[in-house]
Amino acid sequence: MLTYEPGDSFAHRLDPRTKLAVQLSFAAAGLAHTTPVGLVVLGLVAAGCLRAADTSPLSALHGLRYAIPFLAVGPVVEAARLGAPWFEPAAAVEPALASVRVLLVFFVAAAYVKTTPVRESRAAVQRLVPGRIGIALGIGIALVFRFLPLVRRDLLRVREAQAARLGDERRLDERLSLVAAGGLRRSFARADALALALRARCFAWNPTLPVIRFARRDAAGLALAVALSVSVAV
Amino acid sequence: MATEHESVELVGDELVGNIARSALFAALMGAGSYVSFPNPISPIPVTMQVLVVFLAGIFLGPIWGGASMGLYLAAGGLGAPVFAGGSAGFAPLVGPTAGYLWSYPLAATLVGALVHGGVELRDYRVGTPRLVSAMVAGTLVVYTLGTVGFAYVQGVSLQSAFWAASAAFIPVEAFKIAAAVGIVRSDAIAAQ
Repeated sequence: MLTYEPGDSFAHRLDPRTKLAVQLSFAAAGLAHTTPVGLVVLGLVAAGCLRAADTSPLSALHGLRYAIPFLAVGPVVEAARLGAPWFEPAAAVEPALASVRVLLVFFVAAAYVKTTPVRESRAAVQRLVPGRIGIALGIGIALVFRFLPLVRRDLLRVREAQAARLGDERRLDERLSLVAAGGLRRSFARADALALALRARCFAWNPTLPVIRFARRDAAGLALAVALSVSVAV
Repeated sequence: MATEHESVELVGDELVGNIARSALFAALMGAGSYVSFPNPISPIPVTMQVLVVFLAGIFLGPIWGGASMGLYLAAGGLGAPVFAGGSAGFAPLVGPTAGYLWSYPLAATLVGALVHGGVELRDYRVGTPRLVSAMVAGTLVVYTLGTVGFAYVQGVSLQSAFWAASAAFIPVEAFKIAAAVGIVRSDAIAAQ
């Protein structure tokens, strides 16, 4: 699974805001230049990002395996015809370029995920989104990361219990309803316990965040983001 | 650590509860992508995700239901493995399934607004026709945006996008709507 891994690569040491800016401008540049030449240039940029993050393209591809059928089906469906000549390769060119673009965005995003710990992402969000909305968003994001493994285990446990009692022979809506109701009950119980615990600890609007600061090395990343953004306008 | 030296202001009790519930619902949504069931109609497995969108609207109401789905997208975009197949990061938010993902906050808000009859949180135990029509409207939003998003990102026509990315999934939504009605009717959840 694609997830944060501690390390000391160049990308690990960048400010998370720089990395977010590169991702956003890369995606925008991809949309603006979905041409063979544009994609070759962006491919070089994506390779550079993976290199800076010390990430192999194969591991990034592994994290993207669910999307591969979608990427493959686009060109095929667009080129297929319900009569002679049945398949028109020219129509598949544009969707195929779009699939390559999506693939490149996945590589750049994988570099971010691999090199940015949750607490830095949260600090970046709270600094980028102003006021209490930003603080609430930061808290919420941190809580989702924290509770995801627990809720996931809750759901899988309910489903295993269902299978052990031959519940998997029931109709689909009944199975869905039982697993979802079990998950909901536990999630509400966890939310109530969490809210009580937060109140008991004087949960305040003044969170203590890790310091994130732009350094000289961020200049390279920011320059790349600016160049990509400018290329969108050109 | 970045420290502050001003006076501390506590978060209100009601807001703490709402933030906790939204975050847990967002986590439930993410966990739903790992739990799949065999599909009786097609070979593509069924996940719980759209069901959780409906439930967020029904149980949390339009504002916090929508907010919890927004949290789900934000956490996923920053690297929580919450998207289909446990994928994470910014890319799915601009990838072929982007339309679906961005539709979730809208759909949860719409379902919540229709069930609760406005932005205020009221009793969610409304009549079955209203419950079902709210979820049908939510499903329409999800698949319309999903199809348009796929067509835009993949550079294909709307018709191709519909056949490639939506047609196989729509019939299964009936099971999810039935499941959500079952949950609301069963009183298994004692949410206020």
